[in-house]
Parts: sequence; C-alpha cells; structure tokens
Amino acid sequence: MANIIANLNKAFESRIRLGIMSILSVNASVDFNTMKELLELTDGNLASHIKALEGLNYIQSFKQFIGRKPNTNYSLTESGRQSFKEHLDALETLIK
Amino acid sequence: MQLKVLLILSNKMEKQLEDLKAIREMMEKSSRFLSLSGLSGILAGITATLGAAFAYFFLLRDPAATSFTRIQEIVILMSDALLVLVISIGFGIYFSSKKAHKKDQKLFNKVTMKTLYNLSIPLITGGIISLIFLYRGDVEMVAAITLVFYGLALVNVSKFTFDEIHYLGITEIVLGIAAAIFMHNGILFWTIGFGICHIVYGFVMYKKYDLE
Repeated sequence: MANIIANLNKAFESRIRLGIMSILSVNASVDFNTMKELLELTDGNLASHIKALEGLNYIQSFKQFIGRKPNTNYSLTESGRQSFKEHLDALETLIK
Repeated sequence: MQLKVLLILSNKMEKQLEDLKAIREMMEKSSRFLSLSGLSGILAGITATLGAAFAYFFLLRDPAATSFTRIQEIVILMSDALLVLVISIGFGIYFSSKKAHKKDQKLFNKVTMKTLYNLSIPLITGGIISLIFLYRGDVEMVAAITLVFYGLALVNVSKFTFDEIHYLGITEIVLGIAAAIFMHNGILFWTIGFGICHIVYGFVMYKKYDLE
C-alpha cells in the first residue's frame, strides 16, 4: 500500500493544481483568464499555483499581446504531461 | 488501532475518488460545450415539422393548384426555410443560455466559439451549394444537400459537445443520401431529418443531461 501511495505526486495534492493540469491536458493552450473562470479563483491564488507548476517545469507560458493587452497562454510541458499521467495511473490503481 | 488505520485509509480513498471526479469534471468543462439544451432540439424539431408541413400542403402537394411562378415558389420555400432556421437558432440560444445560467456559467466562452466555428464551416458551405442549386432551378436536390451538410457539421462538432450529436449527424447524412436517391420524396426525408430526429434526440438528451 505504502508503495502505491509513493507514486502519487506531491505536487498535485492540491485540488487547484489538479484542476490546472486537467484543463491543460485536454487543451493545446489556455489563457490565464479562461483558467481563472473555469476554476473560479482569484488572480493571486491562480498565479501562485501556476508559478509553482512552472517552477517544477510541468507547465510553460507564452506571453503575447492582443491589441495592447498582454495575454499569457499556458500549456503542458512533456515532463508535465508524463508526471500527470503517472499521477492519474497511481490514483486509479489505488481505487481498484 | 487497526480501526484507526482503516479509517485513515478509507479517508485517503475518499480523497482520491474526489480528485478523480474533479479532474474529469475540469477536463469536460474546459473542452466541451455542455450548455446545449435538449429542449432547443425538441423545439427546433417542432418548428421544422411545421415549416415542412406548410411547404408541403401549401405548395408541393399540388403545384398546379396555385398560380405561382417558379421564381415565386422558390422565394416562398426559401422564406419558409429561413424562418424555420431563425426560430430554431433563437430557441437554441434561449434554452442554452438558460442552462448555462443555471450552471452559473457564461454561454459565450472560448469553447462555445470553437464549437460554433467548427459547426459553421460545413454549414455555410452547404448553404452556398444549396443556393447554387436553387439558382439553377434544381429545388429537389436542396433537401438532400442541406441534410448531408448539416450531418457533416454535426459530426465535425461532436467532439466538442455531447456524444449523441455524433450519431445525430450520421443519421442526417444517411437521410440526406436517401433524399438524393429518392429525389421526389425530398420533403419527406427533410421532415424526418430536421423534424423528427431533432425531437427524438432532443428528448433523449433532455432526459439524460437536463433533468439532473
């Protein structure tokens, strides 16, 4: 049992981070505001979790301008996709 | 002691289950247009049936009974079809925005736009082709063309919304091909495709997704 739990990734323990990873795993890229609306979060709260995931190199950001407004898009990195998949697999084995 | 361990384990299990549920929900919510209401399908179906009945009893059943020119006939049929389209879209927006509101979501977001964009490509193509056939006076083929392209549009868009839309699309394509083969019964296939199919699928989807 302990062995199986070890496969769960500590970085994904928070529900918000799980949400971010889930959204990015089914969309090529998603901007900050869309993510904020989907997860029903405040700017600061979402930004801190995004920063953490970026720090782990699980997600990457692209900045661009729409007119004059800066717009940041996020997507999963290869290692983020891999880690999230392993986490999901671990969750599933645990429940079986 | 053992009980305590079991309790902790079952608590953990509970959390994992909840996690999986949340993941699934986020994946769907962020990539699919789920505000589509079954009611709009039912009402679109009823509108289409009424429109087709009007066209049939007023014009197509016995063209000799009326004294319209060919051009006038085409204008009447087109206005009828256009009216059906506008009313159906109106119902679609009304019930979908109501459903979105109930779920505390916005109707128009990125996913909705993506859905509409993918829906409109085959739909507009089909519309233009239909107009070309109409212009050439080939009214009979229009039922088949609208059905086939509408079906293709639905199949194209089904990956962004409910799975039932895929099968509705396939059904419309088959009916469209049938309408092209049995050309003189075009209005019959059109009524089945845009009327009855919408009512049936709308009802199924209303029961499955809206009555929660």
